[in-house]
Amino acid sequence: MKRFGFHESPVLSGRPAFWRARLVVIVLMLGFVALAAKALTLQILSNEFLQRQGERRYERTLVLQASRGKIFDRGGSVVLASSVPARAIWAIPEDFHKASDPQVAQLAQLLGMKEADIRQRTRDEDKNFVYLQRQVALDVADKIRQLKIPGVQQLPETRRYYPEGEVMAHIVGFTNIEDRGIEGIELAFNDRLSGQPGSRRVIKDRLGRVVEDVQAVVPPVDGQNLQLSIDAGIQFDTYAALKAALEMHKARAGAAIVLDVRTGEILAMVNLPSYDPNDTAQRTGQALRNRVMTDTFEPGSIMKPFTAALALDSGAITTSTRFDTGNGRYRYQGSLISDVGHYGVLDVGGIIQHSSNVGMTMISELLSSQAMWTKFSELGFGRVPQTNFPGMASGRLRPWQRWRPIERATMAYGYGLSVSLIQVAHAYTAFARNGDMVSLSLLRREGQPTSVQVYSPRVAQLMRGMLEAAAGPDGARRAQVQGYRVAGKSGTARKIVNGQYSKTKYRGSFVGLAPVSDPRIVVAVSIDEPSTGGYYGGAVAAPVFSDIVSSTLRRLGVRPDAPVDSLVAVADQGGHTR
Amino acid sequence: MIRVALFLALLLMASAISLVTVRFQTRELFVASERLKSQAHELDTEWRRLQLERAELARNARIDSLARTELHLIPVTPDRTIYLQESPPPADSSPGGRP
Repeated sequence: MKRFGFHESPVLSGRPAFWRARLVVIVLMLGFVALAAKALTLQILSNEFLQRQGERRYERTLVLQASRGKIFDRGGSVVLASSVPARAIWAIPEDFHKASDPQVAQLAQLLGMKEADIRQRTRDEDKNFVYLQRQVALDVADKIRQLKIPGVQQLPETRRYYPEGEVMAHIVGFTNIEDRGIEGIELAFNDRLSGQPGSRRVIKDRLGRVVEDVQAVVPPVDGQNLQLSIDAGIQFDTYAALKAALEMHKARAGAAIVLDVRTGEILAMVNLPSYDPNDTAQRTGQALRNRVMTDTFEPGSIMKPFTAALALDSGAITTSTRFDTGNGRYRYQGSLISDVGHYGVLDVGGIIQHSSNVGMTMISELLSSQAMWTKFSELGFGRVPQTNFPGMASGRLRPWQRWRPIERATMAYGYGLSVSLIQVAHAYTAFARNGDMVSLSLLRREGQPTSVQVYSPRVAQLMRGMLEAAAGPDGARRAQVQGYRVAGKSGTARKIVNGQYSKTKYRGSFVGLAPVSDPRIVVAVSIDEPSTGGYYGGAVAAPVFSDIVSSTLRRLGVRPDAPVDSLVAVADQGGHTR
Repeated sequence: MIRVALFLALLLMASAISLVTVRFQTRELFVASERLKSQAHELDTEWRRLQLERAELARNARIDSLARTELHLIPVTPDRTIYLQESPPPADSSPGGRP
C-alpha cells in the first residue's frame, strides 16, 4: 500500500462542502442551548418544586412522645400509676375483607372480641381507618403482627396502669384513652403529670434509617413524677378495716380518712364501694364517688365538741358549770329536744361523754348565733377545703342572720348544716394540736405546714380530755385501742329521705385522735346506712376507728402511751417492757 | 510553577477525599447514636414494666392475704412487742409502704 501524508490524502483533494461544517457546528450549538435551557428550568425555574419533592421523599418529621409522669406513695417506692407502651390495632376495611375466616377467628380470640363484631365494624368499605381495639398490650400486639392479616395495622400508644387497683382508686383517679386525667390526682395535677411532646425533622436513607437531623431537635419534656402524702400500707389497712365493717353491717357505703396531725398530710383516704381503675367498664356510677371529699351530710353529734370548745373558749361556761338535763326531754322554741337516756345533772364533760342533745341546747343558749357561725366558718365548714382536688364539696352553713332560734340549738349538736368527712377530720386537727388547724396536703410535704389558731391551747387540751372520756369505758368504748390512749366522738345522724328525717336510715360516724399524750393522727370514719348489727356511730364506726388507729400507729412506729400487760418476757438487761 | 500547581491539585484531591470520608463517618456515628438512643428508650420502657411488675407482686392486698392464709401470720399487738427504752423510735414521719 502506498503511504502518503495527511495533507496529501486523496479524500482531501476534493473541495469539502463548507455547509456541512456549518451544519455540524449549528447542531452542536443547539444541543448546548437545549442543555442550558434544561439546566435553567431545573436549577432556577422549578427549583422549589423539585426541592419539595425531594424533601417529601427523604425528610420526615418524627414526633417524640413524652411519657406521663408516675405517681408514687409517700415512701417513693410504691408505684401507684405508671404508663407503659401499648398498641392500637386498626384496620383498612377494603384490605381486611381478604382476610380468611380462621385468621379473623384468631384475631378475635387475641383481642377478646367476637368475630361478628369485628366483621361488623369493618363492613363499611368507604372508610379507610377503623380502630379494632386500642391500648392492646405489647405481647398480644406482637402475636397479632405475626398473623400477618391483610389490612390490619398497628399504632404505638401508651396505657396507664394502676397496680394498687381499687385500694387507691379514688385518690389516684384515672386517665382517658387520650392520656388525659379524668378523675382524682390524675385530673388535679394533669398539667404537671403530662409532658410536652417533642419533634425532630430528619433525613432517612432508603432503608428507613435516620441519617441526619435537618433542624435542631425539639426534645420531649417528660411529665413530672408526683409523690403523694398517701402511705400505701396505711391506705391498705384502712381499706381492709372499712371493707370488713361494710360487709359486717351490710352498709350501703363507707368512707374513712387518716390525717397526720403534725404535717397535715393525708395518710389514707378510702371510699367504698370502690372500683378497679384498670377496668374501663367499672368506671361508672356510684363507685366513682369520692365520698370523703364530695359527699356532704348532716354531721350530728361529731359537731358537739366544736360548740362546747367555743363555749369554754369564750368563757360562757367553765368545766364545772352544771346543766340539769333532767329526764332527757326539753321543750325549746316549740320543739321537743330529747336524749337517748336520762342523765340528770351534767357538766360539759358529761354532756360530751353522753352526747346529750339537751345539754348542748342549754350550752347554745349561752352563745350567740353569730359567734357560732364565725367559729364554724373558721373551722372550715361551709367552704371548699384548700386542697387541690377535683369535686371538693363546700358543705352548707347558712349565714347566721337567717338562722331561726331553734337552729342555734340544732347547729350546736350538728343538725341544720352539712359537712364533708374531710372537713370534720380537718377541724379535729385543732383538738389534736394546740388549738390550731393545720393545712392539709395530698402531696408529700417538705418543710413546715401552715396552721390557723382556732381555739386556745388550754381549751384544746381540755377537749382532748373530754374526748378521751367520750371514747372511754363509759362512752364509745369500742373505739379503744390496746396500748394507746384514744380520744374521739361518735355520731349518729338520721338521713333525710323525701324532706323528712328517716327513722330507718342512719349514718354512723366516728372522729377521733390518737395517741392522746402526743397526738399523731386524726381518723374519721363514716358508715352510710348500716342495716345489721346496730346503727349507732359508737357501734358501727368506732370499731373501724380502733382497727385503723392500731395498725396506723404500729406502722408509724409510735410508742404505746397506755399501760400494756406484756405477754413477752425480756431476757436482756438492756430491754425494758411497758 | 507546574510543580506548585501539581502540589496544590494533590492537596485539593486529598481534602476532597477526606471530606467525603468525614461525612461518611458522621452518618455512621449518627446512626450508631440513634441506635443507642432507641436502646435507652427501650430500657426505660423495660424498667417501667419491671417497676409495675414489682408493684403488682408487692401489692399490700396480695402480701396481706399470703401472710394470713399461707404463712398463718397474725398482726402484732403491743402486748407482744418489746419496746426498748434506750433507743426511742426515731421521729420518722415518713415510713412509707415498703414493698
